[in-house]
Amino acid sequence: MVWIFPVYWMVNTAFKSRPEVMTPTPHFAPAHPTLNNFVNAVTQEQFLTNLRNSVIVVAATVVASIVLGIFAAAALSRFRFPGRRTIMVVILAVQMLPGTALLIPMFVMFNSLNLLGTYLALVLAYVATVLPFSIWVMRGFFLAIPVEIEEAAQIDGASTWRVLVSVLFPLVAPGVISTSIFAFIAAWNDYLFAYTFMQDESRYTLPVWLASFTNPVTGTDFGGQMAASVLFSVPVVVFFLIVQRNLVAGMSAGAVKG
Amino acid sequence: MTVTHNRRDWAPLWLLSPAGLVLAVVTLAPIGFLIFTSFTDYNQRTLFTGVYSGVGFAQYSELLGSGAFWISLLRTVIFTVAMVAGSVLIGMGVSHLLTRLGRAWRHTVTVVLIVAWAMPNVASSLVWNWMFQPGYGVINWLLGQLRIFGDTTGLNWSQDPALAYVSIWLLIVWQAVPFIALTLNAAETQVPPEYQEAARLDGAGELAVYRMITLQHLRPTLLLITILSVIWDYNVFNQIWLVSRGGPGDATSTLGVFTYKTAFVGFRIGQGAAISVVTTLLLLGLTAFYIRNLLKSGEDL
Repeated sequence: MVWIFPVYWMVNTAFKSRPEVMTPTPHFAPAHPTLNNFVNAVTQEQFLTNLRNSVIVVAATVVASIVLGIFAAAALSRFRFPGRRTIMVVILAVQMLPGTALLIPMFVMFNSLNLLGTYLALVLAYVATVLPFSIWVMRGFFLAIPVEIEEAAQIDGASTWRVLVSVLFPLVAPGVISTSIFAFIAAWNDYLFAYTFMQDESRYTLPVWLASFTNPVTGTDFGGQMAASVLFSVPVVVFFLIVQRNLVAGMSAGAVKG
Repeated sequence: MTVTHNRRDWAPLWLLSPAGLVLAVVTLAPIGFLIFTSFTDYNQRTLFTGVYSGVGFAQYSELLGSGAFWISLLRTVIFTVAMVAGSVLIGMGVSHLLTRLGRAWRHTVTVVLIVAWAMPNVASSLVWNWMFQPGYGVINWLLGQLRIFGDTTGLNWSQDPALAYVSIWLLIVWQAVPFIALTLNAAETQVPPEYQEAARLDGAGELAVYRMITLQHLRPTLLLITILSVIWDYNVFNQIWLVSRGGPGDATSTLGVFTYKTAFVGFRIGQGAAISVVTTLLLLGLTAFYIRNLLKSGEDL
């Protein structure tokens, strides 16, 4: 009960009209359910721009992390070579850094490169946090593939590259999907970097838009903000339910923070 | 661990180098630059002019000599302990409860926990602000209905240091418990039931069975979860920033918020970098311990 209450309250508020939201005695169900809050949120001129920003940055982050990560994960799971252990430890340790340890130097560097406010700045920041755990999680999926399959292909005369692309990659495909979902959630939810790097309203991503949801004339429009929160959370909740079986494994590598 | 290629082979090198190069640019270089910045007087003016100079250890001596830093550190430690203790204990309770429920209820509770866990923390922070809103917030109304605290309608949670802590604590614990409960529950269902039955036959009460049998099996999982929670709660930023901005005054400025305010509100970036370096160093020991434990618990590197 306690765990569902805040979610219920968010949804409940989202469907109420403004006078019903602002009542001294709260209504536990909307007396006159309305979609106005959702319509208002979506028709704000900023919404579409900010949605587009989010989609571009998140998509670029996911693609970059998966493409770079899958080769690294293959190397770290299928080969034994000097320095491998060190690389693994570095990958894990990066996950545990406080946000500001990357935020401050990146801000300074992007400022001197005139990159603040650009998609590239945000994508680089997200790749820094998403790529290490993508490698870690995908490596787990590679390790689950029996070696015999690979050996059979080698006996048939396939090169290392062919084994990788035609044999291993199709087998890790489900793992790649889960990893992409983790990557999506991490980048989609970020507030700290977007809030600091994207100063201009037209450059906000959705979390920053959500947090700035105030009306200068009438104060914070809680109905609207809750409706926007619902819209923002729905994709994440759906994805969470899809990958729930892999959630615990992903968490231990810091994929999705609590 | 299954490794097929023991021979000398250049494959891992070219497989790793793209990701390696990118990681070097986006993580190692910034960390190096962070350390460099902490030895300079980088500030707001520098952002426009690009001019700064090295100041040696001045940022560090200023930091270690400032009361604000030590108070913030103390605050962070106390707050982290309170959040970790709260979420781990409640998580253990919920996990145990899950083992006692029937199939349908267990499924329902699991879905509820996942939904709560899945809420993006920006969204949940905003929901918190709304629920704890003075005047129209549902929490104040519910407290009023209890008729213990008198009229609570106007209670302003974010403007009172103690209340701000309570609401942030509730928020963090609310969001941390699902992960802890579900992870522990996965481990708890692995405990062989024969052990528990044997203990019961020997006349052990429910509590004794839990303490002596179940808890022994959960210990490794519990240890990993606790360390992970400490690392996350120590680093927590979004929720505090969105609920209280570290206020009222500096009452809820943990190290993360303190660093952010120094670097991006006061734009004393050199000083902020120094705080960030110290924060990271304090965490490093724990991170090392965590990684060692993860390796021991069967993760083969």
